[in-house]
Amino acid sequence: MAEQIVLGADRGIDMGEIDPGTLSVYRHVTIITMRGNLPCMPGVDEVPETGAQRSRVFSGFGVASAVLAIAAVAAVALIAVMWSGHRASTAERSYQARSMQAAAEWTAVLINMNTDNVEGSLQRLRDGTVGELNSGFDTSIAPYRDVVKALRSATTGQVESVSIEEIHDDLDARDPQRPTAPASLAPEFSARTDTVLVIATSVSENAGNKPTTVRWNLRLGVSDVDGKPMISRLESLR
Amino acid sequence: MRNLARVLAIDIGAPVAAISALLIIGVMLDWPLWWVSACSILCLLIVQGALINLVLYRRDSVTVGTDDDKPAIRLAVTGLAAAALASAVAVGYTNWILPDRTFTTDSAEVVRIATQVSEATATFTPTDPSSSIERAAALMVPERAEAFKAQFGSATADMAKRNVSAQASTVSAGLEALGPSSASVVVIMRGTQNAPGQDPGVAVLSLRVALTKQQGDWRVIDVAPINSR
Repeated sequence: MAEQIVLGADRGIDMGEIDPGTLSVYRHVTIITMRGNLPCMPGVDEVPETGAQRSRVFSGFGVASAVLAIAAVAAVALIAVMWSGHRASTAERSYQARSMQAAAEWTAVLINMNTDNVEGSLQRLRDGTVGELNSGFDTSIAPYRDVVKALRSATTGQVESVSIEEIHDDLDARDPQRPTAPASLAPEFSARTDTVLVIATSVSENAGNKPTTVRWNLRLGVSDVDGKPMISRLESLR
Repeated sequence: MRNLARVLAIDIGAPVAAISALLIIGVMLDWPLWWVSACSILCLLIVQGALINLVLYRRDSVTVGTDDDKPAIRLAVTGLAAAALASAVAVGYTNWILPDRTFTTDSAEVVRIATQVSEATATFTPTDPSSSIERAAALMVPERAEAFKAQFGSATADMAKRNVSAQASTVSAGLEALGPSSASVVVIMRGTQNAPGQDPGVAVLSLRVALTKQQGDWRVIDVAPINSR
């Protein structure tokens, strides 16, 4: 009984037959080959590759696999783009939240300044500022410090609202009598400056007088200085 | 060389890509319990398949990637990896890209509506006392609009009798909070009030406007002054 085997020769797939002797053609186990199936054998003519053989390299399955592989690579690229975009959005919101927190903490110090803590509060306020606001801090805040010390007031303040500014219409720009808004920190010192709106209320109680309520509508510039949000602009909206 | 490329692409690349896609889908979905379970099962199946492939390679010296007699299996493996990656793209689009875009568009939309409503509530013309109220009410949820009209109706009647006019312009508006269906916006306005025989009164008003999303549209549910203490 004959058995068929498939041999992967150097070109194409060739078929041979092992005859164990039952066909009585050969006495010994022999490999019978069809002419041209084993081109490596001597005396066999070189079989040229036909177009049909070449096309077998790119079978239907192969083409489909290649298309799917290209689609997979495209999907990987899309995922990378989406990942990058989402990370940027998340980082943006995270930074805005940190800016809002920095502005709220800075304002909380400002509106809770008392005779007892005025020097420490001013130091904290100065440490949280940068740029022109920092360099001109003593000049701009000195009158305020003197008033706090002279009045010996006990002030308690509360931040009512903190928000990231989305719209601003500089109404003062239309009025030449009004001062212009302070400039933001120069780009070489900070990668970005966000504007945070802080609305707060403080109640000052002076000895013997009625409590005074002060309403704060502040517009703070919060600049990113080496990853740390710092106050670079202070404006009171009136 | 050709076999090495096949092994790298099909036998190693495809399962790694599929497992990576399943894991990133988990990150995109923020790992809900059902996906933890489904992802574990699918990853286990992929690892099992890879191990079987390794065992068969040791036995037959041929892998799914290099076996010329089984192109269908190779296609199936490539298809599964591509399907996993395509699913990750779809999940990423719906869970990352769309919400990010919606956040950006919603930010602008809620601030626009809040400023319009705030300015309308602080604006009054004696010759047309109900126009600004109607304008504000049109941007509110129906139940709140009715209450708003009733609340401001009596006040406007008195102002109309005294011939008082009021005008408000937004100085700044900021986003306090924004979620998929609710938002809070702060509007700081400069209001000017004119009464016959008196100097114009100018005041800074700060309002908190709460909004909700109903059937895809943002509507105001509350307008309240902030510095009310």
